[in-house]
Amino acid sequence: MDATLVWLIIVALAAATFGTRLSFIGLLAHVELPQLLQRALAFVPPAILAAIITPQVFPVVQDLPTLDWPRLVAALIAFAVAFRTRSTVATVSVGMLVLWGLQAVPGVTGLSYS
Amino acid sequence: MTPAPMTTPQLFPPLPRRAALRAGINASLPLMMAVIPFGVVCGASAASIGLSFGQAWALSWLVFAGSSQIVAMQLMASGAPAWVIVLTGWIVNLRFMMYSATLAPHFRARSRPGRWFAAYLLTDQAFAVTLARIIEGREARETAWFYLGLAFSIWLFWQIASVAGILLGSFIPATWSMDFVVALTFIALLVPLLNDRLMRSAALVGGIVALAPQLPFKLNLMTAALAGAAIALLMEKIWMRPSSG
Repeated sequence: MDATLVWLIIVALAAATFGTRLSFIGLLAHVELPQLLQRALAFVPPAILAAIITPQVFPVVQDLPTLDWPRLVAALIAFAVAFRTRSTVATVSVGMLVLWGLQAVPGVTGLSYS
Repeated sequence: MTPAPMTTPQLFPPLPRRAALRAGINASLPLMMAVIPFGVVCGASAASIGLSFGQAWALSWLVFAGSSQIVAMQLMASGAPAWVIVLTGWIVNLRFMMYSATLAPHFRARSRPGRWFAAYLLTDQAFAVTLARIIEGREARETAWFYLGLAFSIWLFWQIASVAGILLGSFIPATWSMDFVVALTFIALLVPLLNDRLMRSAALVGGIVALAPQLPFKLNLMTAALAGAAIALLMEKIWMRPSSG
């Protein structure tokens, strides 16, 4: 991607993000956020986080999600660890160790990524 | 003068400015176990798709919102058009509007530069901890200083972690499947949000829609987010109507 375009994207995303943060603290200090919008905004984070996770667990190859056993097992175990510990470090470390462990087993071939 | 936003019972004597700042910094320390690894992952995600150090660093200074940075990097790597990258990143960050609206009454008495700086520092963690403090019934002025100590401390550690991640990200070999770290980090972010049926439904719908056949312009992620939020909102309307009076 062209460097100028990358810079434009960074600046535009920065401005858009700052706008959301500034909205009520800085600009609309005496306006109430409508109840419906407030509820809708609460549901965006779980939806988007899950939407980022699933294509990494079921890699989409030629428009179809595929089963990648090492990734699926590692993700499920990481989920359990996250539920129990609520710790980012524990979740990431256990998940990566399981993934590497399974990828090292001969015969269990996960997809390889460049 | 702006009137006090809420007449909450004063359970605690208001702290002086320095003590409130220090309390904020102290409150930030337990968060570092989450902030630092996420900062490293975000820095690394920018470096790993080939952004220059300056671009990656600017991203963490100017955007300063990890999830949207990662989303932007993934879309950029997949060749999405610029407008989709910016729009999707913006949707990821729309939650800040909700935080901004909740915190606004506590900053009404502050100067304009103070409010703008507070807005720049707004993050998920700074919001969550400050909200807990507000619920305790703390005074608005004290809350503002507490927030400043907390949010600035998070910002500082995040920036250091980001630089470490940017430097690290360009050295890690692809065979280590480090892209999976992003998924795992997001699992750690997602799990605490799954505390009711509606939030779980939003996640389920978002996760499934993201696997649907590729939409034009890489709009899958944005569609997944909006579909998840819309379904959860609809479910809430259906379930809440009979009981709410």
